Amino acid sequence: MFRKIFLSCAAGLLAVLGASSASAEDGGLNDMQIAHIAYTADEIDIQYAKLALECSDNADVRAFAETMIRDHTAVNVAALALLKKLGASPEDNPTSQSLLASAAAKRTELKALKGVAFDRAYAANELSYHQFVNKTVESTFIPAAQNAEFKQFLRTALVTFKTHEGHAEKLVKKLGK
Amino acid sequence: MAAATSQRVKVIRSAVLVGLIALIAGGVFSLATSASAETHVVEIRGFEFFPAEVNAAVGDTIVWINKDVVPHTATAGDGAWDSGLMETDDEFSLTIEADTSAGDYVCTFHPNMVGAISVE
Ligand SMILES: [Cu+2]
Repeated sequence: MFRKIFLSCAAGLLAVLGASSASAEDGGLNDMQIAHIAYTADEIDIQYAKLALECSDNADVRAFAETMIRDHTAVNVAALALLKKLGASPEDNPTSQSLLASAAAKRTELKALKGVAFDRAYAANELSYHQFVNKTVESTFIPAAQNAEFKQFLRTALVTFKTHEGHAEKLVKKLGK
Repeated sequence: MAAATSQRVKVIRSAVLVGLIALIAGGVFSLATSASAETHVVEIRGFEFFPAEVNAAVGDTIVWINKDVVPHTATAGDGAWDSGLMETDDEFSLTIEADTSAGDYVCTFHPNMVGAISVE
């Protein structure tokens, strides 16, 4: 199931990227679209974390979820401050829509689970989700970003998400199979 | 008997002497440390403590500054001291005393973040 969602996320993203590379002369994804996707990706992880706080009694899972809310909120506050400074606003796009749809489906799937089954599925999803987002930010968004400050902001955000990826990896191991 | 008494007096005298020396030495020592007390700054950036290790003497102060967008903590491995949540540009100071918990410390939010204090 996760694989399917991962693939559909990736497919959605690739479709947009493919379309934009086909029209490379038009510049592909612009900074405001990248900003919208990154902001949406943060919001999605906050929603997963809120679900974990509703559904889990595991202290490690709860601590991880609280860190996700704290960090992704801070990154998004900083993102909005930068966009305001640059006089820009995020631009909705098909990739953001596709990410939101996949995340809604994943939340429905997670909500049906209880106890350790929920904890393991949440942790596994956090790991794969951060891997997916990090790969996209690193190999697509950072090279594509035009504004130097925005590019630097994405690099900083990537450090945050990579730390989360490492943290999620440990959580997955700790919870076992 | 007389020899024993004189022996005891000698012992007492030397104890007093040792005590006096310790007092004087202690006074000089604490003067010396307060005169040369250092402040060590540890920047938190990119989810790391810079520098990762601080060598401090008793009387020195360590100041952590969070330069990241996200909150962090600096917390003793045994929880004996704790900055609590530090937002961007927040600072936390710790004055090193003889019994300050040294060794590895962490950020409680990000367990991969580890720093160390060694007390000279
Ligand atoms: Cu931290």
